[in-house]
Amino acid sequence: MQSETAVSQGARSVVESLRARFGAAVLEETWQAPDQVTLTVALDALPEVVAAAYYDCGGWLATVVGNDERGLHGHFALYYVLSMEQGQAPYPWLTIRALVPGHRPQFPSVTPRVPAAVWYERELRDLFGLEPVGLPDTRRLVLPDDWPEDLHPLRKDAMDYRYRPEPVGEAENYPFVGPEGEGIGEVPLGPLHIAQEEPGHFRLYVDGEEIVDADYRLFYSHRGIEKLAENRMDYDQVTFLAERICGICGYTHSVAYAHAVERAAGIEAPPRAEAIRTILLEVERLHSHLLNVGVAAHLVGFDTGFMHLFRVREKAMQMAEILTGGRKTYGMNLIGGVRRDILKDQKDAVLRLLRELETEVTELVEILVDTPNFYARTRGVGRLDPQIARDYSPVGPNLRGSGYPRDTRMGHPYGAYNRVPWQVISETGCDVLARTLVRCREIHESIGIIRACLEEMPPGPILAEGFSFKPYAVGLGWTEAPRGENVHWVMLGPDRKVYRWRPRASTYNNWPPLRYMFRGNTVADAPLIVASIDPCYSCTERVTVVDVRKRRVQVVPYKELQRYCREQKHSPLRD
Amino acid sequence: MLRLLRKVVQTGQVTLPYPFAPVEVAPDFRGKPVYDFSRCLGCGACARACPPQAITVEWSAQRGVVTWSIHYGRCIFCGRCEEVCPTGAIGLSQDFELAATRAEDLVVRAELQMARCPGCGEPFAPARELEYVRASLEAARGAASPVLAARLQLCPRCRRREAAARSGPAGRRQGGGSR
Ligand code: SF4
Ligand code: SF4
Repeated sequence: MQSETAVSQGARSVVESLRARFGAAVLEETWQAPDQVTLTVALDALPEVVAAAYYDCGGWLATVVGNDERGLHGHFALYYVLSMEQGQAPYPWLTIRALVPGHRPQFPSVTPRVPAAVWYERELRDLFGLEPVGLPDTRRLVLPDDWPEDLHPLRKDAMDYRYRPEPVGEAENYPFVGPEGEGIGEVPLGPLHIAQEEPGHFRLYVDGEEIVDADYRLFYSHRGIEKLAENRMDYDQVTFLAERICGICGYTHSVAYAHAVERAAGIEAPPRAEAIRTILLEVERLHSHLLNVGVAAHLVGFDTGFMHLFRVREKAMQMAEILTGGRKTYGMNLIGGVRRDILKDQKDAVLRLLRELETEVTELVEILVDTPNFYARTRGVGRLDPQIARDYSPVGPNLRGSGYPRDTRMGHPYGAYNRVPWQVISETGCDVLARTLVRCREIHESIGIIRACLEEMPPGPILAEGFSFKPYAVGLGWTEAPRGENVHWVMLGPDRKVYRWRPRASTYNNWPPLRYMFRGNTVADAPLIVASIDPCYSCTERVTVVDVRKRRVQVVPYKELQRYCREQKHSPLRD
Repeated sequence: MLRLLRKVVQTGQVTLPYPFAPVEVAPDFRGKPVYDFSRCLGCGACARACPPQAITVEWSAQRGVVTWSIHYGRCIFCGRCEEVCPTGAIGLSQDFELAATRAEDLVVRAELQMARCPGCGEPFAPARELEYVRASLEAARGAASPVLAARLQLCPRCRRREAAARSGPAGRRQGGGSR
């Protein structure tokens, strides 16, 4: 295939240029697929090689995986996975792998060179006890602040997956970072919500009404599903667990996981199965984007629009019900394909709903953007600077609103995306408006994709069967979720289990740059900005406002902040 | 603004009177799994497939029973149980109204007798599963000889012992190892 040779040539030229620069530091080169190559490098050279791949060869950080491979060869392994985006799509994947000796669990931090690695490295410290030497941020990321000091859950010998240490106390002791000044008091209070009902603790540093900086503590709803999957489930069951990562866009995780296992085991799901997966993925995007555009309407005070968008969204839920038997597109995947075919009646019913949805969405979106308030409230607000975006590898409409036409469906085609006509949508405004417009336009692309797939379904089986699993084979799976690229990394294990499964949800890459998006905006815009990354934090629970000049700390209740965002009258920060 | 008003008027009321009137679900809707005790073998295939462990099967050798149970609070309505059940003893229905005021009301439990091994007297497999295996073998190969039929009733340990006895020096002399 034309594109296959081009993509492997792309990968080869990246490998050559890295070999030319780092010579002896490159210890091993292995190919997983024509578009996937892994370079094992000397541990000391890790930051340089990752930085060179990232900034000099068009790399974007897709995920970082830690793996306890001491039982296999005495080391922990680190995998920095990058999407190498030079020239034309499709693009190859490059994994930089380094081994960390079991007796000396530390590695040189990549974050000072590539900021995008910051959360990943904090997580490696928490879950594997691997110390990133030189990482500026020494706080925990995933584990609760009162979790026992030397207990690293994802080490194979650490603990039973059901173990839950007793909480030490009620007090919040996470050190927030913000501008320093004499006598700035900080009193965490709460809990309350900021944009949607999910747990997270936000701290906004303000000067009067203007936000000068922000910090946040998330992972209150970390459930330890990686550990659960490794210990209790077989590889088919994990497809169902993967959907529980999110209540909105869960199916996309299931597909990414299934693709990862399928690639590791050398299985190809039949084309009909991939077409069905693609249809369901786009139905999921429809209802997810309509939800987000609805929330944006609500937050700018346009509640009638919000109600109507939700009414129309119901049509997407009906499509899901017709196609899968549930209001979410869940429970459809097995390794090797899907469990349910699409029949003629179902196809016709979905095509009819699509037509209705299309007409109504077009009309409602026109009404929404015509509301005088809408432009005024969203333009220039919550700017994601293109350079910040380049440094942090954010994904999805969040990134595409800042001028980067990056979309995994095009960059690394999977499913049926290279068989149907569609376009990557991007906008250049870098603001809340741009991100919302990207979603509005993507709704139409999704409608087109679903229609094309339904009309030209490849015939044949929907499930590949009769394959065998090779323990310790590694596979990468990815999807463009409504919120951006999801990446799943899998190492198969013995006994029909996964040895390691590392799902990386899109929003994980979107949180770190959010801090910069807050700066310079007013408190009244904070909910809009958070909602514009369409966060998936399984909801932002607490906001503490710290006035850096008056040295005052104040907690604003969720309802109050939301009211202020909608009405923009009677600031809660005034006495 | 005018367009919006027109839209509002055009749309009219969309809220359904549920729960005062029923709502219709899609023909292939996946709702509450319904269990048919009379068909269940106690084989446990459903429990092994069930991703969230909503279905569990526990053996009590002491009491000689297999306890099958489902916790609807854990069920994700995936239908894997239906897919793997050899007898159709469990299948999804269209019922989605599962709310209960007490957690216990979300659990359905059943006990199945285990067969005792005529060799050692220990219970070793659900009686119905054993019967199902016997009947399937019969359907595939015709009635078993009395020797084979008796062997089927033995627990794995006694069967091994019997096989060892047959293939031992004494057994080989008698040619007991052949079918
Ligand atoms: S429907 Fe799925 S979750 Fe529910 S009992 Fe059956 S296998 Fe378990
Ligand atoms: S698979 Fe069917 S027969 Fe076997 S235990 Fe489950 S319900 Fe009973």
